[in-house]
Parts: sequence; structure tokens; C-alpha cells
Amino acid sequence: MNELLPLLVAIPLVGAVASITLGSWSDRLAWPVTFLTMLVHVGLATAVASTVYRGGTPLATAVGGFTPPFGIELVVDGLNAAILVLVSAVAVGVLVYARRAGPHSVAFHTGYLLLVAGLSGMTITGDMFNLYVFLEITGLAAYALVATGDDGRAAVGALKYLLVGTVGASLFLIGIGYAFVATGTLNMADLAEKLATADPTLVGASFALVVTGLAVKTALFPLHTWQPEAYASAPDSVSGLIAALVSTVSAYALARVTFSVYTVDFLTSSAFAQEFLLGLAGISIVAGSLLAVMQTEIKRMLAYSSVSQFGLVVAGVAIANEAAVTGSLIHLVGHAVMKGGLFLAAGALAVVAGARTVEDYDGLGARAPLLSAAFAVLSLSMVGIPPAVGFVGKWYIALGAIQAESWPIAVVILVSTLLTLAYFLRLVERMYFRTSSDDVTSSTGTGATAVADGGDDTDDGLTRPSAGMVAVVVVAALLAVGLGPLVSTFEPLLEPTLETLLQL
Amino acid sequence: MEALTAIPPFVYVLAVALLMPLLSRRVGHALGVLATGVVVPVALLTPEGAHWAVQLFSFDVVLFNVDEFSRLMGLIFGFIGAIAVLYSYATEASNKQTAYALTYVGTSIGAVFAGDWLTLVFFWELMAVTSTLLVWDYGGKAVRAGFRYAVLHGIGGSLVLAAIVWHYAEVGSFLFSASTGIVGAGPAVLALAAIGIGVNVGFVGLHAWLPDTYPRPHVAASVFLCVYTTKTGVYAMYRAFPEGHLWLAYMGGAMAVFGATMAVLQKDMRRLLSYHIQSQVGYMIAGIGIGTTVATAGAFGHVFNHILYKSLLFMTVGVVIYRTGEESLKYVGGLARDMPITAGAFVVAALSIAGFPGFNGFVSKGMIIAEAHYKHLDVVWYLLLAGGVGTFLSFIKLGWYAFYEGSYDGEVRDANGIQKVAMVSVAVLCIVYGFFPDALFAILPGNEGGFDYTTYTFGHVVEGLILAALGIVGFAILKKPLDRIGRVPDIDAIYNPLAFYGTRALVRGVTESYAAVDRAAVGVAGGVSTTLRNPETVVRRAVGREEADATGEDESAWPLSLHAGIGTSILLLTAVATVGIALLVVA
Repeated sequence: MNELLPLLVAIPLVGAVASITLGSWSDRLAWPVTFLTMLVHVGLATAVASTVYRGGTPLATAVGGFTPPFGIELVVDGLNAAILVLVSAVAVGVLVYARRAGPHSVAFHTGYLLLVAGLSGMTITGDMFNLYVFLEITGLAAYALVATGDDGRAAVGALKYLLVGTVGASLFLIGIGYAFVATGTLNMADLAEKLATADPTLVGASFALVVTGLAVKTALFPLHTWQPEAYASAPDSVSGLIAALVSTVSAYALARVTFSVYTVDFLTSSAFAQEFLLGLAGISIVAGSLLAVMQTEIKRMLAYSSVSQFGLVVAGVAIANEAAVTGSLIHLVGHAVMKGGLFLAAGALAVVAGARTVEDYDGLGARAPLLSAAFAVLSLSMVGIPPAVGFVGKWYIALGAIQAESWPIAVVILVSTLLTLAYFLRLVERMYFRTSSDDVTSSTGTGATAVADGGDDTDDGLTRPSAGMVAVVVVAALLAVGLGPLVSTFEPLLEPTLETLLQL
Repeated sequence: MEALTAIPPFVYVLAVALLMPLLSRRVGHALGVLATGVVVPVALLTPEGAHWAVQLFSFDVVLFNVDEFSRLMGLIFGFIGAIAVLYSYATEASNKQTAYALTYVGTSIGAVFAGDWLTLVFFWELMAVTSTLLVWDYGGKAVRAGFRYAVLHGIGGSLVLAAIVWHYAEVGSFLFSASTGIVGAGPAVLALAAIGIGVNVGFVGLHAWLPDTYPRPHVAASVFLCVYTTKTGVYAMYRAFPEGHLWLAYMGGAMAVFGATMAVLQKDMRRLLSYHIQSQVGYMIAGIGIGTTVATAGAFGHVFNHILYKSLLFMTVGVVIYRTGEESLKYVGGLARDMPITAGAFVVAALSIAGFPGFNGFVSKGMIIAEAHYKHLDVVWYLLLAGGVGTFLSFIKLGWYAFYEGSYDGEVRDANGIQKVAMVSVAVLCIVYGFFPDALFAILPGNEGGFDYTTYTFGHVVEGLILAALGIVGFAILKKPLDRIGRVPDIDAIYNPLAFYGTRALVRGVTESYAAVDRAAVGVAGGVSTTLRNPETVVRRAVGREEADATGEDESAWPLSLHAGIGTSILLLTAVATVGIALLVVA
């Protein structure tokens, strides 16, 4: 199984080339090629993850036969095996959705596979510089995907994303530079050993720069400024994919770097390292929720909600005990499913009723019962109503915060639940307990404009969501509820990994 | 015996709730009566112990815990659930509403049969959601009230959750069996638990949701609402403080007096009854606060009796509203002539709640009052007695105006057949338990060979009669002034606007301060670049010239906005990196 790890990156890369080559011959081939590539990828990812969890030991391979610490190493352990499956599975789900919802261009499909390649690379790499390379691949693919929306807003959103993202990545690179100067190595495992004895000034500066760089990609407040506009202006399929995966994998990278490179010892012993992370996380949780409450556009609201939720995840990483880190991983996976599902549901609802703002959601429960139900379930799961997965993640993180006696974070988590309740309950109430103001007008003929609006958004005159689109949203909702109870079987599988990472 | 514990009771109630929308009204309600009714024998016959000990989120939990406390709660919750579903059927409640009501009943039953805090709080939160849905279903004014209800219960639930997590951090287990009540590092955790649960039982100051919400939905929904939320709160309060707490006793006394006083001042019939929930729950909280075996048994006896007569009151008043369409005492009167059965049931319920000898309220209320006296908690004792006078007074008022004095123009028929069945069966129980206190004692917790309390002593009966006499005298004196009182403001008149303006101020504050930061940052960046490009102008401006037009330009070039531009974003990024490096390297 070890020697198959490079294929996780290579397959989507080859697929990207294949889709653009075959796509230039016939447009219709781009989707099937992409889908086929993703199916192979999901199979391989699942096989790798099940080997890791069943064996209890990490898989590792040296790329091209150059032995670490000089060569590049790919490592899959309990922490990233889950992320790997998540990346692959969500990408397949969104692709099914995009079959009808679009974009249909060849460039979109190529960019899609490049993004998956970048994300898979970020997930499995065991080398700091390699992480930077994949971070850039992911970034570039994501900028291009956002720009596939064909109005000016998407272009500006993508440009802002590009500029801010690139500066963030550069800071990350400078941080790696400091670590390299201090130790002379780039392999994560090797760095972890040598950083312990290196010059603390260099290590501290490197940590600050690396964290800031990754915090931009994760979109923590106040570094989130690119994110709402990018999510809101991108086509719905792209918003779903990016919201579910890009920040998630960046947050994973933050956790990986913190535990596998700088180590828990550094986090706890070095002055202000933990406080810096906790501060960013805490501000993010509160500010993200408050900003989300103030939004009127659904996709912007969901985007700000992500700022808050990733604050939670990073808080779990910063607390760095067993419960908190378990909670972070669960919330990473759970949030990806929920937020991806919410964006796709919002897109499908926009097709049904042209609903793009909070006011538009009046009475949607009656007009699109299945989609509304899925949206409501995903929302409630996000709020953290048990037994959904949103509850479990928050619960573990809160438990970790209390075990570590970091009371401010515990309070912040409870407060954020209330704020999350505020902005999601508002939508659920509108969908189910108000009648649409459009209902009166639609009978007199103006309702047609709403449908036409929906069609405009998806650029090919789509007036009804396809069965595939609805199915993907419903599956996401079912997963959001179903994954919660599964956590108790998953948690023991994670224990050996956490023992290594947290040096228990 | 195996069959009894095969399924936790909440499962079949919730299952029927889910089936409800698919069935006809008749079949659906019949199944609803059956599913809730079955809980009664199951609660009675299931042997004590922890059934369904499983793992939830890898914590040990017990989904079906039977002891003498949860048995009593399950018994009465199941019975009154069946009656209320029957009443819903007779009162033309829609299938959807009854489905919501059944989810509410199911989650409440789940909460009282929980054997650990995690399961309890799980159902506790679900109860808040399902009861909000039940209120919302009616639409109109109920929606806003439902919102306030949801927010307050959201806050209460979070406090309880916080207390429980803290408790777990101390004890290392959620199970009730692992500790005596809530245990924490300091008094703060006890305060969190008491205040969080206090929202549900209507502590004075936290009670405003009760009269705000309960009068607004469908009359049948009110019957459900008046039973479950507050009584589950009393039960949880016992689990949190099994040995009592002095402050709880005082709070209970205060609730008894405050609720009764506010009730006297009301004209809306269901609002009057809602304040009485607070008052009566005050007796229960006082009983739990006193904490002796007899007081605790009295508190649970009062839960049992109260559910009987309070649901009966809501049913009778519901019938009045159902037949006349009027909510206020101002517009009804003299209904006893047209609705003899309803009026009869009302009299039984009113005498029960007021604690008149011969009715069930007398038995359990007497136990609590006697224990307060016996433990020399004089202030509590006087408060509870005063609450009793207020109760008599307000029910004389309600009965007088609704059923006796004046007349109602228009045809009124008495309750329909099924409503009569529901009301009369509950009324009969009120009398039976009043005359045969031993029947009640048999199911009360802590009964090992009888209680050290005799219901019908000369002293107790005289006490009851004196309270009644004081009530009558009080009504005769206060009748005139009470007529002139309009709507009396409650504490929510303060905190609704406070919450509204507070939230608005918070949002504004964040927006404005963000904008201020944004402006400042942009100003600095702009200033730096301007200085670099044309230093001469800057110098001149610093001296004091061209100030006016320069600021005008600034504002048009940088409109106030939440959206940070690309430049601002990079600036923020640099700032964070700088702060990070400064913290990590310099410190």
C-alpha cells in the first residue's frame, strides 16, 4: 500500500491533463473523464484510510527513492487519513451536483482536478516545502475556479482572493525559510527533532509566520477578508467545493504543522505561542458569528459562519489535549459535510425560487419541501443540536477547553452556539412559519421573473434542480445526522495517532 | 418483564408523532392516546434499575432509568398526555399540531427516564425545540412569543449544559449514580445549574416567558404546555439538588407569592392560569429546597396533583374559549347556566389548586407547608401561606366572572362529549386523591412504611378553611379596585426592550468599531502613501492649511464599509504577522 501513496496526487494530475486533452476534442467528455478520475481517487483514498485505521500504524513512502530527510516523504496517519477520504468523497459529491448545475466548461473540470491534486498533496505530504508547493497549487486552482463565474463580481472576488492568498502563502514560505535556516532540513519529522535544540528566536519567528500564512488560507478573523466575497461570487458548485475543502485542508495543515513540526512541547513551553493561536481562534469564533448575523445574502452569511467554525477548530488545536484535538478533527470533517451541503442546498434553492437573500427564504418550506428540509437539518446540525455531528465536534472541543481549564474559550464556545442559533433559526423560521410574499405575485405573472433569475445564475437556463443535485444535498443532510453517532466507533481508531502527536 | 424494557418509552411516542401527518385525524389521535397511555403501565410495572445502559459519544449513558422518582413522573406524564391528545381531538386540533405536541411529550418522557445528565440535557434541549414548534404552529402573535421563548430557553439550556460539563470535569461521569446531585469545584457550578433549570421552572425574574407564551397558542396546545416544561424542570431540580438547598426554599416561597399576586391582577383567563403555574411550581421548588423526605415527597406529590388540576383548568378555560372565542374575563360571564359540566369541573380544579380540604391539592401542599413549619423556616412558611390566600382569591375571581356573575350574549353550548370525558375523568381523580391520601402516598418516593404526616388533622383542616375564608374576604374587599386595573406590566416589559436594544447596540458597536478600525487603518495607509508621494502637501497640511477640502475628499474616496478592500486586507495580514512575531520573539 505504501508505494501507492504518490498516486493520490498523480491520478488527479493525469486526469486533469486527460480532461483538457479530450475536452478540447469534445466538450461532452470533460465531465465523464473527471468523474472517472474521481472514482479511482475515492477508491484509492478509502483503501489507504482503511489500511491505516486497521493497522494502527502510519503509512509512509519516499518519493522517487530519495530517502528522507533529503527526499520528499508522503505520510498518512490517523489524522490525515480521515481528511483524505473527506477530500475525495466531497469532491465526488460536488461533481455529481455540478453535472447539471454547472459550470460546464472544460477549464472548470481541469481546475477541479488540479484542486483535488493540490488538496490531496497538502493532506499527505510529510515535507514542509512540499506543503508550500501544494498550498500554491491548491490556491491557484481555487482562484481560477472562483473566476469561472462569468460576471465581473466573480473576477474581482478571485483577484482579491489571489492577492491576499499569495501574500499569505509568501509569509508561510518565509516562515519555512526561518525554520530551514535554524535547522537545515525541511522534512517534518526531522524538523521536529532539530527545532527543539535550535535558536528560539528563529523558531518563534518561523512559527508566527507559518501560523499567519495558514490562518489566511483557513480564513480566521481578521485575515478572512478574501473569503466572503470569493464564496459569494463563485458559482454554486465551486462555493460548495471550496467552502467544504480548501479551508478545511488548510486548518488540517495548521494542526499538522503545530503538532508534527513545532510539537506540543513548543506550544506549551514557548511564551505566547498558545496564546497567539487561542487569541486568533477566539476572536474568529465571536467576530465570525456576529458578522454572519448581520448579513442579508445567504452565501455571505454561510461564508462568515465558516470564519466562526474554523475559529472553533483552531481553538481545539491550540488547546492541544486529547478531547480538544479529537473534537477539532471531528468538526473539520463534520463542518465540511455540513457547510458544503448548505452551499449546495442554497444553490439549488436559488434555482427553485431565485432565493439569494434572507428575505427570499419566506415560505420556501412549502415550495421546495425536500431541499428546505435538508437545509433545515444541516442548519440545525451546524447549530449543534444533538445527535448531529455538529454537536459532537463542539462538545469534544468544549470538553477539552474545560479539561484544560481555559475558561474564556469555553464561554466563547457556548456564546457562539447561541449566535449560530440566531442566524440559522432565523432562516428556519422564515422557511417554515412564514408565507412567501411572492406567492401572491407569482399567480399574477411576476413569479416568472424569479424563475428566470434562478436561470440566470446558473447560466444555462436551468429552471429546476436535477435529481442528482437534490440527492447530493439530501445525502449531505443524512451524513450530518448519521456521522454523529458513528463518532464513538471512530474515536478509538484515532487514539494511537493522538498519542504520538500529543506525546502522551 | 423483558418486554417492558425492550423499548424506552419515548420511542413509541415519537414514532406515533412521526406517523401522525400520514394518518387520518381519528386514527392518528387514537394512536396518540394509545402510545402515551401505554407509558402508564410501563412506568408502573417496569422493575427499578438502569435499563438501556449504552454508550453515547463514547460516554456511559442510561436511556431508560426507573426509580421511584422517574416512575412517578412517567406515570403522570403518560396519563395526562393521553388525556390531552383526547382533548386535542375534541377541540379540532390539526394533525400537525398534535404531531408537534407528541414530539414534545415524547422528549419530556425521554428526559424524565434519563439516567444521566447527558441524556437529560439532550432531551431537555429537544423539548425547548419541540415546544417552540408547538407554539409557532399557531401563527400570528404566537410566533413572536415563541421566539422570545426559544431565546430564553436557549440561554437556560446553555447554562445547564455548562454546569453539566463542569460537573463532568469534576466527577468524570454523567451518571446520576456517580454522585449526589450536581458537584462542582465551587458554588458557581451550583448557581449555573440552579439558574439554568430556574429558567424552566420560572424563577422570579426568569419567569416572563411563561405568561407570555402559554396564553397564545391553540387551547389544546396550552394543555400540553402547562404540564411538561415546568414539571421536567422540577424533576431536574431534584436531580441537581437531591438534598435540598436553603436558597431554593426561599425562591420557592417568593415564586408562590409573586405568581399568585400577578395572577390576581390578570383579565386574560389563560394568562391568569399561567401565573398560577409559577406560583404552584414555587411550592414544589420550596419542597425540594427544604429537602427532607416528607418535603421532597410533598414536592413530587404536588407535581402529580398539579398536573391533574392544572391541565383540568386549562381544559375548562379552553372549552370556554373554544365555545365563545373570547380570551378575556371582560367579555364572558354567567356561563355556569349554559355549561354546567365545565363549570363543575372548574370548581373541582379550582378547589384543588387552592388546597381546599377534600381535594388533592390540600394533601401535597399541606405536606410542604407543614415541613417548612417543622424545620422552622418561618419566612418560607408565611410566604407559602400567603401564596395560598392569593390562590383562593384569584380563583374566586376567575370563577366569579367567568361562570357566575353577568351574562354572555349569544348561544353557548356545553363541552362536547369527548371533552366531557377528558375533563370529568381528571376531575374524579382530583377528588379521589383528595379523599384517599394513602392512594397518593403509595406512589410517592421515599415512602417506606408511610410518611410522618397525617393529612386530615384538626389543625390542617382549620388552616385550609382559614386560607379559604381570607381569600373570600380579600376578594370582597379587592373586587372593586381589581376591576379598574388594566394590564399590569411584568418584568419582561424591562428586559424585552433591554435585550432588543442591547443586541442592536452590540451589533452597532461591532459594526462601528470595525468601521473605525477600518477607517483608521486605511487612514494610516493612505497617509503613509500620500506622504511618500507628495510630502510637500502633507507638510503644508500639518501646518494647518487646506484642511477643509482635504477631509471632504477623504470621505468620498473611502466610504464607510464593512468590506475591507484588497489593500486593507494585506495591511491587516501584515499587522497580524507583526503582532505574532512580536509576541513570540520579543516577549
